[in-house]
Amino acid sequence: MDQFINTLFNGLSLTSIILFTSLGLSITFGLMRVINMAHGEFIMIGAYTTYVVQTIFTHIVPEQFQSWYYIVAIPIAFIISFAIGSILEITVISRLYGREIDSLLATFGISLILQQLARTIFGTQGVNVTAPDFLFGGFKIGTITFSYNRLFIIFSVIMCLGLIWYIMYRSAFGKQIRAVMQNRNMAQCMGINSRRVDNITFSIGSGIAGIAGCSISLLGSVDSTLGQNYIVYAFMVVVLGGVGNLKGSIIGAAIIGFASIFAENYTSATLAKAIVLFIVILFLQKRPQGLFVVKSRNLD
Amino acid sequence: MKYKVENISFATLALILAIIPLLLELNLLAGGSTVIFIGKCMSYAIVAIGIDLIWGYTGILSLGHGLYFGLGAYGMAMYLKLVSTGGQITDFMHIGGLEELPFIWTLFKYLPNTLFFMIAIPALVAFLVGYVIFKNRVKGVYFSIISQALTWAVYSIFISLSPYTNGNVGITGIKSLFGSVKGDANRANMYLLFYVTLGILILTYVIAKFLTQRKFGKILIAIRDGENRTYFSGYNVCLYKTFIYVLSAIITAFAGAIFVNFNGSITPSEMTIEFSIMMVIWVAVGGRGTIIGAVLGAFIINIGQYNLSSGIFVEIWQYIIGAIFTLTILFFKGGLVGLISEQSPILIKKFQQKQEQKQEQEQKQEHKQTKQKSEQIIITKPKEV
Repeated sequence: MDQFINTLFNGLSLTSIILFTSLGLSITFGLMRVINMAHGEFIMIGAYTTYVVQTIFTHIVPEQFQSWYYIVAIPIAFIISFAIGSILEITVISRLYGREIDSLLATFGISLILQQLARTIFGTQGVNVTAPDFLFGGFKIGTITFSYNRLFIIFSVIMCLGLIWYIMYRSAFGKQIRAVMQNRNMAQCMGINSRRVDNITFSIGSGIAGIAGCSISLLGSVDSTLGQNYIVYAFMVVVLGGVGNLKGSIIGAAIIGFASIFAENYTSATLAKAIVLFIVILFLQKRPQGLFVVKSRNLD
Repeated sequence: MKYKVENISFATLALILAIIPLLLELNLLAGGSTVIFIGKCMSYAIVAIGIDLIWGYTGILSLGHGLYFGLGAYGMAMYLKLVSTGGQITDFMHIGGLEELPFIWTLFKYLPNTLFFMIAIPALVAFLVGYVIFKNRVKGVYFSIISQALTWAVYSIFISLSPYTNGNVGITGIKSLFGSVKGDANRANMYLLFYVTLGILILTYVIAKFLTQRKFGKILIAIRDGENRTYFSGYNVCLYKTFIYVLSAIITAFAGAIFVNFNGSITPSEMTIEFSIMMVIWVAVGGRGTIIGAVLGAFIINIGQYNLSSGIFVEIWQYIIGAIFTLTILFFKGGLVGLISEQSPILIKKFQQKQEQKQEQEQKQEHKQTKQKSEQIIITKPKEV
């Protein structure tokens, strides 16, 4: 029983990480049809931002407020990746709307540049982010330990989900986003500045990747290939869930996360992930459009 | 006309490649390593042709051709490793706890078997993947993402099954099919390998040209530009796509096998997504949709990488390649070849216009002169009278 609960908790934890990394992607890919291969690098930017904020704090802030760095790092990570996302949208992405495959390739070039930039600034060696004091340890129920680290990631994913849900479905701006994505010309006729909507939507997607990076920096050392480890999963989650809706991404992440952890009980971690990916690929043969479909009569 | 230019350019390139060993003999090159490097470039060029067939002509963007490259390369490497151990089990198998040669390795004990399985395994994988995916009409970026995930999964498996594949280290310490190619004493082996590779490159080019210049090639282009219309015109799109995908996988596997001969080792890093996308970069920068573009792209990018990725340039190279690739996608869809073939007619036209203008001016001047002469004549005429 204990082991089962432990597995469940690990599954939930992995699900939350995968979901976190794919949330931004489900906005840029799902809504804007832009395949952002540099998404992983935005996660990396968020993680490095956390590291930089931590370093600054150790130099200028008195000892007892040290662990507050993490709280400060989250909004800064969001702002920085939001800004870089915005610049990327203006310079590159805005020329690629409607050219999905080209957007994939062009952003891969960007991802090469961003990775090298990280290596130039921070070196090839990984850097470490120490978890703040209030996230050390965990609480115990019987023999099972729930680490605060992982609980915190689960908590922040839920917060982010709530935020996105509110922005997309309850705010006036979300209405504009959905209007532009569903029928661009009509939305423009109604007086919506579609260029501005595009830009902000893409930047929000990038910003959320930054927050995800902030959380992921707690799990291990941060280096320039950090984003690459998550990008394959992020894409699979979005495709599995069905492009264009949040619900699909959540379920997709849950399927991949829990399946990986359960498979890990029988085999090694890498093999488990590979097997799960195979199963997902097979499933996509049966249902190429993913779990949840936004219905459309378009053929091309 | 256009085809002619392409064939002539390729013939020139092949000729230059054929001279390279001679240059080494005349001591004009730094050492044998340059020839080995050019040999690797030729294997990359073969991959690029394979990628161009499916992406440039048919519009299938595979981000996972490293998978087929790796399968071909590992197949060849297993045979070569068994040659060097005399058919006995290898060190890493001992360490991994194996006592007999695993079944999968026994398939690669003899050369004919190796050549067969080296092609058959990637072809089978490509057929299964391609047929099922194309039958379900998964296309565009979805195919790219699935191919990427598939490659990643196989890559993880290759790393985790280290008793069979030696994990991250890969299969190392092997000689080529014709014996060792390293060092001055083994130059004859190296040249043999080099010219065989050149032959295979030319053969691949000819096959690709043969296919794409026919009606078959036109159907591929039709699939790229309007898949549904091609369906409605009565063509079995799935079959065409599967065929070209399998062919491309076979070409890539072959290139992988050649690469091992030159490289002397194979690691899982040749199966990664990054390497697979590098292949796409070669084709994109060279010029998709033309075979010569793919070949040139593979050479240019790799020669650039070889010369610039050491010393102080090692950092700059990543920026350069990233920037070139992004700019190519954004502004020069046809890549280098597209740029040349677009710009050269304009330049020729300008040149012709200038010449015409010159001629016109000359004619005018002549005209003036003749007029003046005739006027003179007219003026002088009355005198005679």
